[in-house]
Amino acid sequence: MSTSLSNTSTVRAGRWVYGASVALLCAWVLVPIYLLLVNTLSSPAAVSGFPKSFVPEFDTASLEFFAGFSGMVSALINSIYVAAITMVLSIVIGAPAGYALSRFDFKGKELFRLLILLTRAFPLPLLALPLTVMFIQVGLDDTIFGLALVHTTLAIPFAVLITFSLFSGIPVELEEASWTLGCTRLTGFRYVVLPLILPGITASAIFAFVISWNEVFAAAVLTIENRTLTAFLLQNLDTSPLHLKFAGGFILVVPALVFIFAVRKYLFAMWGIANR
Amino acid sequence: MKTIKSKLALAIALPAAIIANAASADVLFWSTQAKPVQEQQAMREQVLAGAGTVDYQANDGGPWLTRLQAELEAGSGSIGVLGALHGDYAAMDAADLVDLSDLGVESNSATFNNLAKLGESSLQYIPWMQASYIMAANKEALQYLPEGANIDALTYDQLIAWAANVHEATGEPKFGFPAGPKGLKHRFFQGYLYPSFTDGVVRTFASDKAVGAWEKFLELWEHTNPASTNFSFLQEQLLSGDAWIAFDHTSRLAQAFNERPDDFVAFPAPAGPEGRGFMPVLAGVAIPRTAPDMDAAKELVQHMLKPETQIATLRATNFFPVVDVNLPGDLPPAVAAAGNAVAKMSSSSDANPGLLPAGLGSKGGDFSKVYSDTFERIVLAGQDIRMVLDDQKGKLAAIMNETGAPCWAPDAPSEGACPVE
Repeated sequence: MSTSLSNTSTVRAGRWVYGASVALLCAWVLVPIYLLLVNTLSSPAAVSGFPKSFVPEFDTASLEFFAGFSGMVSALINSIYVAAITMVLSIVIGAPAGYALSRFDFKGKELFRLLILLTRAFPLPLLALPLTVMFIQVGLDDTIFGLALVHTTLAIPFAVLITFSLFSGIPVELEEASWTLGCTRLTGFRYVVLPLILPGITASAIFAFVISWNEVFAAAVLTIENRTLTAFLLQNLDTSPLHLKFAGGFILVVPALVFIFAVRKYLFAMWGIANR
Repeated sequence: MKTIKSKLALAIALPAAIIANAASADVLFWSTQAKPVQEQQAMREQVLAGAGTVDYQANDGGPWLTRLQAELEAGSGSIGVLGALHGDYAAMDAADLVDLSDLGVESNSATFNNLAKLGESSLQYIPWMQASYIMAANKEALQYLPEGANIDALTYDQLIAWAANVHEATGEPKFGFPAGPKGLKHRFFQGYLYPSFTDGVVRTFASDKAVGAWEKFLELWEHTNPASTNFSFLQEQLLSGDAWIAFDHTSRLAQAFNERPDDFVAFPAPAGPEGRGFMPVLAGVAIPRTAPDMDAAKELVQHMLKPETQIATLRATNFFPVVDVNLPGDLPPAVAAAGNAVAKMSSSSDANPGLLPAGLGSKGGDFSKVYSDTFERIVLAGQDIRMVLDDQKGKLAAIMNETGAPCWAPDAPSEGACPVE
């Protein structure tokens, strides 16, 4: 009797800890975003005042300022283009590299894996000067495609490493079975492997998107007329009044949230694979 | 698969369309000034409205310089006009800037025009706008002014007594100092504390008078909000009530006066035994040698110096004109308040103006770092003043010797590099 009692209390305590952890993790993510929202929808006086209210007063003046801020919309569109191109390029280049790393043995494989990571070893401010000089000479300067190339370089290590571990998780026997049933390497990949790793590809696409979305320095130096939202807004928010900081931060966060929300089901599917 | 293909097509088609778009005839105004978003907006809509198609882009110092260097190195570029502080230009090679003497515009101050020559014989940039650092206080603090103190002619002792009174009355230290990561604390030491106590900046860096200056500053620090190491724009702390008495750049106090003009007063910086030290801030416009359309760029520079543009710039940025203008009566509260304080400061009988550091070239940042580091070691780390000054003195002397920069006011003139005595 006593053992079963202590068991139920242990289970209850376990549930409580579980629930509390879930609540804490949710709060960890949601509270800052909520505070951002509250301050975005508050008047300047309320933002710098104290004590703070946890209920927004729905003052849209800060957001209206950005609605009338010339160049915002085109910067937003540029950001989406750059992030989309970065996403596509990093998958198109990164996924085959991940496949090769997982399926084939070749000389210098370890070195190759290390070299891929090396692109993240140098700070961009260091690379930006020679890169810009080259871009100006080649004619890639101030183009969305040129900036996407730089962001792709930054995103590829993640694309390669994520797809590498995904391909490694898929037994090569599955592929071999498809070959015996008349598939070529290509069609076997197309009909057997690809459907299995699609969620993982989505995950690395999200990484690529977020890396591109958040990058400031290269964007500020490499684009002039075609600025991305971060180059256009983020580097100038630090010196702006508090209420505009909040509103600007909100504007920067929302599109990325919307994107992640839109692709979330693929992400959950990937976690499903990992649990398999 | 199909979607991936169409995405690829998009990826290839879009940049092509965008490359074609980029070839427009705007003059690119590449600036480190008027960075806050609402100032950018005002620059675009008001200041540059009558100047043809101008693309005004404000940047952090890093991207600003990197982009400029890349264009100079590549030999071609898209930047038409530069807007930056005197110190930014002083760090550049004067040969990279177009000689602007034949434009027929200059400031009404011989000192500024001389600085704008960057050591050459002709104008390398045109002075564009000026500002300074002043004090501001919440009106609630005025009741604690020490007896006999005139707020327009405070001494450092009176300021400390005042801050102490407020501290005692409210139970909180309410002096605000811009010691945050983006704060302009080094300018306080270079242009205010050192000239006021030692009548010098470089020569007197480690003098006995300098020890006295730092001792006074430590007294003030006792009544300074310790969160000051996180303050970079004192307008925020004035508005939130974290600071009742504050020192900062005029444009970094402006929001407080504009939002609640009846709650705050602006007043001159305090005076020490060697006078009332203060420092101007000078921004200029220049044209890089790689400007794509030289005529349009020169026209824009001329536009920036027109009296009506200067007044519009004042409204937009809270930086004051550098040419003779008739100021209209309906200026924003911050402009009136700051303008009064600066005027009182510069016309006070004990005024001891310090000039901007000159001749340091690319070492301007290192020069300021000597003062910031000294502050951190003495005030934040609590190290012995004499020991820190003797230690930092070597670094300062090395910078002066390397650049060969001669002394500037209030230091006595030197032959060759300004000595650290």
